[in-house]
Amino acid sequence: MIEIHNLTKQFEDIRAVDEVSVTIREKTVFGLIGTNGAGKSTVLRMIAGVIKPDEGTVAVDNMPVYDNVEAKKRLFFIADEPYFFANANARAMEKYYSGIYEAFDKEEFYRYLDKFNLDKNRKIGTFSKGMKKQLALLLGICAHTKYILCDETFDGLDPVMRQGIKSIFAKEMEERGLTPVIASHNLRELEDICDHVGLLHKGGVLLSKDLEDMKCNIQKVQCVFGTVEDEIKALNGLEVLKKEQRGSLCTITVRSTREEVEARFATVDTIFYEVLPLSLEEIFISETEVVGYDIKKLILG
Amino acid sequence: MTSKNSFWDSCRENHKRRIWVWVVAVLSQLLAYGGMTMIYLSRIRGFYEQGDYRTPAAFKQAMCQAAQDALGFSDNLYPIVFILAAIIGMQGFSYLFDRRKVDMYHSVPVSKNRRFAVVYVNGLAIYLTANLLGLILGMVISASQNAVNGEVLAEAGLAFVWNFFLFLVFYHLMILAVMLTGNRFVTIALFILFALYEFLVSDMLEGLKGIFFKTYSAYYLQDEPKFSAFYDCIMNIWEIKTATDIAAVARLAMPLVAKWIGIAAVLFALGWYAYRKRPSETAGKAVAYRFLEPVLKVAAAIPVAVLVGRVVYNTSYQNETLLIAGTLAGGVIFCAAMEVIYDFDIRSIFKHLISDGVAVVGILAVFCIFKWDLFGYDSYIPAQNKVESIAISVDGYYDSYWDENHQYVEQNQFEMEHMFLTDASPVLALAEAAKDADPENMGDNRGMYILYRLKSGAQKERRIQLDYDDPATEELLNQIFRTDAYQKGVFQTMTDENLTEGMTRIYYTNGPARAVIPLEEAGRLRDAWLKDMEQFDFTLVRHNRPCGIFYFEYRYNRRQFLVYDGFENTISALKELEAYYPMELDAADIESVAVTCYHNELAEDEDTIDYGVEARAVAETWEAEYTDYTVSETFYEEEQIAQILPHLYCNWIDAPWSRYKDLDDNYSVEVVFKRDTAYPYDRESYYFDYSFYAGQVPEFVAEATAYTGETE
Repeated sequence: MIEIHNLTKQFEDIRAVDEVSVTIREKTVFGLIGTNGAGKSTVLRMIAGVIKPDEGTVAVDNMPVYDNVEAKKRLFFIADEPYFFANANARAMEKYYSGIYEAFDKEEFYRYLDKFNLDKNRKIGTFSKGMKKQLALLLGICAHTKYILCDETFDGLDPVMRQGIKSIFAKEMEERGLTPVIASHNLRELEDICDHVGLLHKGGVLLSKDLEDMKCNIQKVQCVFGTVEDEIKALNGLEVLKKEQRGSLCTITVRSTREEVEARFATVDTIFYEVLPLSLEEIFISETEVVGYDIKKLILG
Repeated sequence: MTSKNSFWDSCRENHKRRIWVWVVAVLSQLLAYGGMTMIYLSRIRGFYEQGDYRTPAAFKQAMCQAAQDALGFSDNLYPIVFILAAIIGMQGFSYLFDRRKVDMYHSVPVSKNRRFAVVYVNGLAIYLTANLLGLILGMVISASQNAVNGEVLAEAGLAFVWNFFLFLVFYHLMILAVMLTGNRFVTIALFILFALYEFLVSDMLEGLKGIFFKTYSAYYLQDEPKFSAFYDCIMNIWEIKTATDIAAVARLAMPLVAKWIGIAAVLFALGWYAYRKRPSETAGKAVAYRFLEPVLKVAAAIPVAVLVGRVVYNTSYQNETLLIAGTLAGGVIFCAAMEVIYDFDIRSIFKHLISDGVAVVGILAVFCIFKWDLFGYDSYIPAQNKVESIAISVDGYYDSYWDENHQYVEQNQFEMEHMFLTDASPVLALAEAAKDADPENMGDNRGMYILYRLKSGAQKERRIQLDYDDPATEELLNQIFRTDAYQKGVFQTMTDENLTEGMTRIYYTNGPARAVIPLEEAGRLRDAWLKDMEQFDFTLVRHNRPCGIFYFEYRYNRRQFLVYDGFENTISALKELEAYYPMELDAADIESVAVTCYHNELAEDEDTIDYGVEARAVAETWEAEYTDYTVSETFYEEEQIAQILPHLYCNWIDAPWSRYKDLDDNYSVEVVFKRDTAYPYDRESYYFDYSFYAGQVPEFVAEATAYTGETE
């Protein structure tokens, strides 16, 4: 488990990270979402032990991470622009990382290289941006660390490759309990992979929740009530996050379980009602609007 | 066996990233050692083929000496060491300048200490391997030409140690520069600034003292950089190269090496501390520590600005206003440039006005200190009870000094080592009198360097102006000149214990005559001279000119003993040895006397034209238009020559402390001896330069050389 407590980092006059506290549980995919400049990379770099927090702590499996070899053995950090040695090829990078990470699986690495059609002898300098990111991910996966920290790593990957990497993540999570931490500015990119999401804005955490919890506790209902009294009766006691009405069709977002909503609507006279699944985007819009932010501006642009 | 991720594995991995540095280091050392060895040896072989070495042993000795020059201490090598240290130091740690590299290196499970150790040790390995390969190549070349002996091996070994610690100093300096900065350009600038800062500051202080302080002097105490290995090399390499044997080389080199070890240790500690504290996020920034930006700016701006001001001052014919204006302008421009470098943004020129202001105030403060002598430099005269001893150098006497190995010793060095005036009162009285004296109103304005050795252990140096024509000054100088301490500090001949060792010849001369004296008479002659020196004082040398000099000659140098008319014991001994020849010549020995009158009085009239500050600019034109007033006349008649000779003094005899006005500088005289005379004049020359005593030019000579408007 990675525990981040009151993490603060200031770069001269800019407070890049402001008292961030997040817990990243094992064997989950943690998505760190935020706009450019929200502090995602800084948080990730502090988790990786690259930079030292001004205040607060980062503990990886109860170990402080900054300049701590034992803690870092459990992490593999893929920066937004991964560095490869000048004139190196995939084989040279494997040699370097396999010398550092004791559990590095060379066979698996070369197998994945074949699978992803990456030439182990080709100079990395001639790779495309996407290929470099694939290579960095494969190196990270094959390092067999407990945590893999990816900073905007999925940007630039085509959907097929992204899906391929996601399947590898899923396999590794299942087989050896890999915990990926993925920072991205793109909410839609993380929708189908994250178990837990932390939303960063201006250096602080707006929210950090399990996606499942969020999905289970927020429901969107489309319905046409028979009477106004029915509407009042149905919504009485429910926390309505959002309500839109077009003609007689109401779209209501409420914080509640699906069962409770269905039970409540079954007792009133509705001409039509349906509980609809929410996209991650809609969940975020609802959650952040509650705390006074317009998520569309923050993440979706 | 090394385990996975062992230190040596890390080193091996790190070497892969430094291949070009390996290539540069090895090539430079192979070329330096191999090239120098081949050039030096082939030069000696060339001399041998031209017949320069008569015996095989002499040839072998010369070859070994050449190999020693190439593989031992060399002034060609330390610039290479300097550059290599800079390259290796910067390349090793320059990953800190690149955020992408920092992200990778600092996230992998390798401790900061391990990473530093790996890069650091690899840097040493690169240098040492390259240096050793170069040495081995040089040795192989030397051995193949039979030019290796124990001395070559010993000096090469010592030089290897010397070069290594020299490397270490600059390597650590570069590491410190890397740790304090965030990009290559600023690192190189800071490295150069660090390497030169002591020079800059001492140059600034010396320059300003020279401009503003009338008692400023650096005759005895050079304000030398104390922590600059580069300066140590420049100043000592020649002395080390020319040392007589390996023991002497070691004696000269090893104290410097010991000092460098200390400097290297301090630099390493600072570099290490800065590395440990360096924030990773400073990659790419100019300076890694924000607080250092103003500190570096102000610290560098003051000496650099003063340097600019001094350039302006010297190119503006020493205009003080321009000095201050130039310095302030230099300071402001430098501060602005530093801000631009810090931010890589031209708009940041005046971003930090407070530190700019501090720099300007610092510059002005420095000026005020010197301009108004706020620390009382010029008025400094120590209290008598605080003075341990004094060394002085009174203008008017120059001599050559030699150590026990017949190596040349500078006069100031000899005085420092041998003159210990414990009675400070006459010197302090002269210094006190000089405080208010106006050099413009002095009859014969000369100077005196004073080195005060204080009881506290400190040493202070000043130069004062003296009026040699002033009776009070003469009396005070007499008190000094009469002391044993002064004479022993000026005349090496009074203290030399081994005067006769290695002596090749003794001779006495009055200018033209050269009378050789048997070597066994050296002691007797010197004793007589020492006896006569009991009457030595300032009045003697001021109002008398030596009638001759006797020399003790050695293979490479000689000692001189001035003889005055009153030196009865010496003259008597010389007469007994039939070596004494008076200054006055016999007309019967002279073939001709050629007199040239320059008519300075006429030329001086022309000099009254006021050329002002443009004098230098018009000098060439002026020279071209200058009227030649010289008139020469040669006298052959014995009678005329006899009238001239009593009034002549041979210019070949130095007359220390004498009055400039004693001799008439309007005339020069050439005396030509008869070829067949028995007079023992130096046959290598047939004429000798003389001058008339002032006011003693015979009338017929003056008439014969009068200017009539026609020149020859």
